Parts: sequence; structure tokens; C-alpha cells
Amino acid sequence: MLGLIEKDLRLTFARKQILLIFFIMALIMGISMDGSFTVGYLTMLATIISIKTISFDEYDNGFAFLMTLPFDRKTYVREKYLFCLMMSAAAWCIGAVLYFIGNTVRRSEVNLIEELPMLIALIPVMYLSSVIMIPIQLKYGSEKSNIALSIFFCCIAVLFFGTKAFFSGRSNPVTELIRTIENLSPAVVLLAIIAVCALASGISYMLSIRIMKKKEF
Amino acid sequence: MVKVDKLVKNYGDFRLDISMEIPDGTVTGIVGKNGAGKSTTIKAILGLIKPDEGHVTINGKEASLLTGKEKQSIGAALSDSGFSSYLRIEDVICILGKMYPTFDEDYFRKNCVLQRLAFDKRIKDFSTGMRAKLRVLAAISHKSELLIMDEPTAGLDVEARNDILDMFRQYLLDNEKRSILLSSHISSDLEGLCDDIYLIHDGKIIIHEDTDTILSNYALLKINDDTYEKLDKSYILGTKKEHFGYACFTSEKQFYAENYPGIVIERGNIDDLILMMTGGR
Repeated sequence: MLGLIEKDLRLTFARKQILLIFFIMALIMGISMDGSFTVGYLTMLATIISIKTISFDEYDNGFAFLMTLPFDRKTYVREKYLFCLMMSAAAWCIGAVLYFIGNTVRRSEVNLIEELPMLIALIPVMYLSSVIMIPIQLKYGSEKSNIALSIFFCCIAVLFFGTKAFFSGRSNPVTELIRTIENLSPAVVLLAIIAVCALASGISYMLSIRIMKKKEF
Repeated sequence: MVKVDKLVKNYGDFRLDISMEIPDGTVTGIVGKNGAGKSTTIKAILGLIKPDEGHVTINGKEASLLTGKEKQSIGAALSDSGFSSYLRIEDVICILGKMYPTFDEDYFRKNCVLQRLAFDKRIKDFSTGMRAKLRVLAAISHKSELLIMDEPTAGLDVEARNDILDMFRQYLLDNEKRSILLSSHISSDLEGLCDDIYLIHDGKIIIHEDTDTILSNYALLKINDDTYEKLDKSYILGTKKEHFGYACFTSEKQFYAENYPGIVIERGNIDDLILMMTGGR
């Protein structure tokens, strides 16, 4: 597992220039923009970059050699989820520091206690995207997974607008759910998001293991 | 010990159907034409593909079920796959160090210098020979007991090939219990290294023989049409029509040397074996 994390870290930092550009952009946003956008932006970028390591593993038929190294397929999958979570958390920390520096520079008053639960909620929310992307990437590979992801998000959009159209003029259970959530305390919302994320991660992890066990290289 | 027991793998019209054994302390070669099934066999042994029928076991355990710890005693190099080309040797050293408790960093670094492999260059900027050397070095520098090599010298010049073969010899010298399974097109590589040879053709093993036996007992007979008609063909394995008459491949050189003193007998080699057993009639 440690060797795999080392590999992914090294593959990620092999693209230093891109990472530097992302960081400078985040720095500028953190100083110039109000709100916690920078934190979300950096966390999202980190999840995308982490997922990209699967493409690097796959590139040039690399999977075949990789699977001869001393770990089993289950460990490979486990490491990907852990790596994405680590990267998201690390990016969130950097984003949070930039956010508070930005606020200090602008001399805006920030209520840390009030803001923190919602800021922390960004980690599981962004991590959810990796939870969706990892099995798709493993199943379809880097090129086909883009198509699979587009279809997936199209389905979500159809479901969203379909529900909206279906319930037009009537009481919409989704709107009511959002209203109920808005009335809850931030700590409860955070716990609910973590619970949903944990459940989704469990399902996604099982799917990924199944995909990897069936794969031939 | 590696045991391939009635392994069957189907890819469309192609069917691999083989059994073989690689005992501890031996160097086994797999030869055959392109598409014969050499790489499929190696991938099955490495657990990269699942057999449709049969079993592949390494030290008694199914190859596809080996744990990370059990895989630490195996070193593998594949002809078309390796570490990500975005990495540098410095990265590879750190990764191998974390993956294998027995990784010998000093040995690896020393050999990288000897083979003129740049530490700070990305693998994608390496030549074919440099990549091949890196693959072999990565496989042997963690003191594995079994090396599985798919075409480790393919596409390399004589000097690079010799360097890689020297690495194998040194690896074997360090511990006599070590085994190597390698596939190759280049007969001279196998002749100088392997204890026994499997010839695969159209997914089947058509010959399994000790290398010494091939070199001492096998021969190519060059005979004219008249002699060919009278020839006792009991020990002829393959025949090919040539401009001078026939080239016949035999596993009993001595028999023909004693009974047909006038015919030309050339010492058999692995190239002849492949050519006559898979290409002749």
C-alpha cells in the first residue's frame, strides 16, 4: 500500500508546472474573492488529479506490469480511495489556509465556528465525485470513462429536470427535502453528508473490487 | 516451483492448451513464433489473465490468488509494459524500496551507473535498450527467487543483450536456488542460459527438451532427392524442401551419422528447431 501511495504521489508531482498554475490561480482567487470558493475549487482539483493517476497506471499498457508488483487487486482499489481522500483533505487544508489569509487581507470578519462545518462538508461532497469516478475509470479506462461520465451526469440532469417537471404545480418532495435540510443545524447536515458519502464509498468500493477482479491485463 | 497444469485460454479462434513445470533452481526458456502463445503463458503464470480451464500454481498456490507478500519473491519484466514513463529512476528507487523489504538499493544504483541509466531523466526519454535494462534491474534487485521475463532482449543490439544476459548470470550465481522463466525469439540468448526449452506453436507445446540435448542430439540433415527417398524417416521431426534437395531436422544425429556417412549433418540449434518444427512440412 505504501509503495502505491508513493507511486501516486510521485506521478502527481511529476506534473509540477500544472500544480503550480492551479495553486497560483487558487491564491489569486483566495485573495480577491469573497466566500469559500477557493476551498471547494482546490478540493475539486485534488480529486480530479488523484483520479488521473488511474489513467497514468493504464497508459502504455502499464497495468500489466503494475499488477506483477507485490500487492493484490483489492489493495490497488483500496489505495485509490485512500489516495483520493488524502489528496482532497490536503487540498482542503491548503484552500482553508488561503481562505483565511484572504479574509485577513481583506479584513473581513469570519465566524470560524459558523463556517467550519460547511467548509468541512466540502471534503465529503468533493470526495463523492471520486467515489463515482473511480469504478467508471476502472471499468471503461481513461478515454471511454469520459463518455460514461457524460452519460452518467446526463442521466442525473434528466432525473433532476424530470422530477421538477413531474411535480410542477404539486408539492415537490425534493424541494421539501432541501427545505428540511436548510432548517437543520450545520453539524447535523455535516453528519448526514458524511453518512451519505460513507455509504456511497462502500457501494463504489465493492463495485470497483468486482471490476478489478474480473479485469485481465 | 511453477506448475502449469492443463492450462486452457481461448481468444476467439486461438486456443492455448499447455502444461509445463519450472522446478526450483532451473532456467527455462519458451520459444515460438509471434502469436504462438508465449506471452499468454507468461501472463497466466503472473496471474494477469484467468485460465478458462486448468491451473497455474506457484509454490503450490494458485497464481491469481497470490498475496502481496507472496509476490515479493517474484520478479517480472514484460516486453510491452513497465513503470510509468513519467517517472524517473529516483522515483523508481523510492517506489521499489517501499514495495520490497529486500530491495537492494546499493546494488540497483551501482548497476544503473554501470548500465549508464540516468537517474534524473524521465523513463519516456530512455532508449529501448535503457528501458529494457531498467525493467530487468527492477526485477532482480529485490532478491526474488523466481524471475519471469517476457522477451527481455527483444529489439536490443548485441551489446545491450549481452549486458542483460550478464545480469541474469550474476543473478543466478548469487543463489543457486533461483529460477528464471524467459521467452525469447533470439536463440543464442536461450542456448547460453537455459537448462530446458519449451517450443510452443499454435498454442500447444510441441517440444520440451533439455538445451544440452538439443545442442548435442538434434541436427539438420542436408540431403539430395535420391538420398531422401531412401532415408529412414523414423527420427525425422521436420522436413523442408530446398534448392539442393531436402533439409531434414532430426533428434537422432548419431543414428544418421552412423548409417548415412555421405550426408551433410549440421549441428542443431534453437533457430533450426523453431524453423523446422513450425515452418517445415
